[in-house]
Amino acid sequence: MSTLVFLEHHGNELQKGSLGVLAKAQALGGDIAAVVLGSGVEALAADAGRYGASTVYVADDQKLEAPLPQPRVDAIAQLVRDKGIETVLFAQSILSADIAAALAARLEAGLNWQLVDIAAKDGQVVGKQSALGDSVLVDVGWTSTPRLALFRAGVADPVETGGSASVEKIEVAFEEHSLAAEMLEQAHEESSGPSIEDAAVIVAGGRGLGAPEGFGMIEELAKALGGAVAATRAVVDAGWYPYAAQVGQTGKNVSPGLYVACGISGAIQHKVGMQNSKTIVAINKDPNAPIFEFADFGVVGDLHQIVPKLTELVRARRG
Amino acid sequence: MSVRPADFPAPFSPTEVIAAPTDPADERIEVGVLIVGAGPAGLACAIRLGQLLEGSPETAERLGDVPIAVVEKGKQPGSHLLSGAVVNPRALRRLFKDRPELGQVPSYGDVHGEAVYLLTKGMATRIPPPPTMRNHGNMLVSVAQLGRFLGEQAEAIGAAILPETDAQKLLVADGRVQGIRTGDKGRGREGQELGNFEPGSDIVAKVTVLAEGTQGHLTGAAVARFGLEGPDPQLWALGVKEVWKVERPLGHIVHTLGWPLRKRAKYGEFGGSFIYPMGDDMVSLGFVAGLEYRDVDFSVHDVLQEFKTHRLVRKILRGGERVGWGAKTITEGGFHSLPKRFHAPGLLLVGEGAGLVNVPTLKGIHYGIESGIMAAEAAFRSLQRGESPSRQGAFDAYEDELRASYVMQDLKSVRNMRQVFDKGFFMGGAFASAMTITKGKLPLKDYHSHPNADHSLLTSDRAKSYPAPDGKLTFDKLSSVFLSGNRTRDDQPNHIRIQRQVPLELARMWEHMCPAQVYEVGEAAGDGTVTVNIAPSNCVQCGAITAKGGRLTPPEGGSGPEYTLT
Repeated sequence: MSTLVFLEHHGNELQKGSLGVLAKAQALGGDIAAVVLGSGVEALAADAGRYGASTVYVADDQKLEAPLPQPRVDAIAQLVRDKGIETVLFAQSILSADIAAALAARLEAGLNWQLVDIAAKDGQVVGKQSALGDSVLVDVGWTSTPRLALFRAGVADPVETGGSASVEKIEVAFEEHSLAAEMLEQAHEESSGPSIEDAAVIVAGGRGLGAPEGFGMIEELAKALGGAVAATRAVVDAGWYPYAAQVGQTGKNVSPGLYVACGISGAIQHKVGMQNSKTIVAINKDPNAPIFEFADFGVVGDLHQIVPKLTELVRARRG
Repeated sequence: MSVRPADFPAPFSPTEVIAAPTDPADERIEVGVLIVGAGPAGLACAIRLGQLLEGSPETAERLGDVPIAVVEKGKQPGSHLLSGAVVNPRALRRLFKDRPELGQVPSYGDVHGEAVYLLTKGMATRIPPPPTMRNHGNMLVSVAQLGRFLGEQAEAIGAAILPETDAQKLLVADGRVQGIRTGDKGRGREGQELGNFEPGSDIVAKVTVLAEGTQGHLTGAAVARFGLEGPDPQLWALGVKEVWKVERPLGHIVHTLGWPLRKRAKYGEFGGSFIYPMGDDMVSLGFVAGLEYRDVDFSVHDVLQEFKTHRLVRKILRGGERVGWGAKTITEGGFHSLPKRFHAPGLLLVGEGAGLVNVPTLKGIHYGIESGIMAAEAAFRSLQRGESPSRQGAFDAYEDELRASYVMQDLKSVRNMRQVFDKGFFMGGAFASAMTITKGKLPLKDYHSHPNADHSLLTSDRAKSYPAPDGKLTFDKLSSVFLSGNRTRDDQPNHIRIQRQVPLELARMWEHMCPAQVYEVGEAAGDGTVTVNIAPSNCVQCGAITAKGGRLTPPEGGSGPEYTLT
């Protein structure tokens, strides 16, 4: 069985998510290769060996400099053909989702997305996909090769294997239509703290804060913990906090190490966006709030007293 | 001072949604017959047209590349369909006459037995089913599944189905309907264009068929534009239903009257429940109540929860698990509320949107299909050489055929039955029996009705009897919305038109009325009025707000619930 993992990079760093998928790929056994596509990316290729790739294909080409999908589809389609690759894995990102979808069309291949895991079973490749708002995991498969799979964000951490990869340079024959799009400008959103998808700690506020001003103390606590601020839909709807911070069914999906829910009742629409957090702490004055049913630690009380004290304590401990 | 919802009308005028085409002529999407709404009526119309065009390739050719198009605001046909449902198979048999599809209609079998109960809090008294409620030989279906099936058949016979497409405006020019304009996609909360903005398009057609179902957005506007209002205003009821996986098969259908509704006429609580088997391991149960109710704390969702605590229902659900939930209004004005005409130049009205629902028999799906078939045949005739759909009287035959059909005879015979329940449960019941026995000849006088929003509000301790949700038998609104599959994008413009500063009673009525927790009583202004906060993305587009003072408009296409079992 031969598997290829697309490694996405930003600047001079391989994305954590795609290295995580490389770790997941080990479960399939056989040859696990990786591919790095860009301009001036040879040094990155060597890195991939440490995370479990036995071979790293590198296409170093000016035409691959901008993060556009179509030239990358050419490169991966060519690898699938030339190297007899049966499975191609991606980590969720806007670029990777574009490439995976276009590749599926190009190769007439099946694509399973939002996978949380993958395994080989009786010679078949079986993906795990969460469904119905994360309430069940279903097994998904492919009826033909190549098989394409897109993993959900944040489901796997990179694992250093200490190995080294053989780096193989490839030349890509680009299709004319693949070069028709051009990147004119790239702008980065300015943000002060870590983004909520990457944050290890999240402090979230809901209606229990009482007023938009309540977010002041949430921000203080987040700062003390080195984390990010999230919000429920109700408060975003009410205009208390920006939409970018919304966690839940129609907002972002997060899985930090620590999630501190302040004044959040825990409606299922919010729960599905944060239930994969490792440790959930809930502060709410209503002992019957549903959040206490799935929080690891619960504090029944007035958050206006608890949160500032907690912030003080965290600051004191951290010095 | 008594408050009437009608005194706080929605900031909305039907003329807003009537417009001439604006896209340059070469950018308009041209189709032959355009059908708005992929429900039983619209899809039956598409299927029948497909059958007729199969037999007449020259007509199909004249209609261009897309002879039949169906636009649907849900993610797919069936996504927004919800009903009991017990279906009279008569119209489906006509639609698929001598075709193998008839045997493939998704169904949970025929009705073999039925029971009607009159409930009080602690008792259930079995009463003989009124003649209108006898269902022997009818089919049990999920109308969401029926919609998906009919969608596949329509596509197979050559109709183009455009899902996730909302019909935002009715295109009218030169006195005739020219098609529709679809809604924009990718607008932000303030209406601004987001990165993925896509403007709507003009879809122009030789014939437009409105098959929008309950609370049709364009149907209402078309009725106003062409002066088609019937003698009485249209009325609606709100139904909330759940689908349960159960341990024991139910075997027969159940209807109940009475508790938890209050009998006294002043509350205006009229309605009842249904419990239908769906095969051996599922049941569909729901509660339906007329929207003329007056109590500010009345909530059909909570009444359904209360209803489930009755011994009769507990027994059926014991050991089971809720697997589906949804809500929708039902058009129930009946015969007196039908439009004056079912057509206008270039336009045909069909199905529930046109008012073709029989409340006493709890049926309408077969009328939808039947009217869809007739509309298809009328459209086909008008497209023959030498004919024109915009010719005066082009659709008169549709009108005549529909009015002469069993659909209209049925509706006429029960024409006063719904209205007399304004007199309260027992008086209404007595009148209803008299009408049934005399096939509608008695009473001699016709009873008329007032719009749902004209009834003044009252406050009592209604909410006290609602059970606290336990997450096993009884549920809150938010977890129910979740189960409907609704995952509407939050940052889109608000699609619900209401006055945002209203008397407390009205805000409280909306808050309780809405099964999806869209409205919330906000801050008090000190003069007896409050701000109404809204969460439009919870909306399952049931349409109750339109009956009670506000106006639902279609949100971005693809929004709303994703019904699969309802």
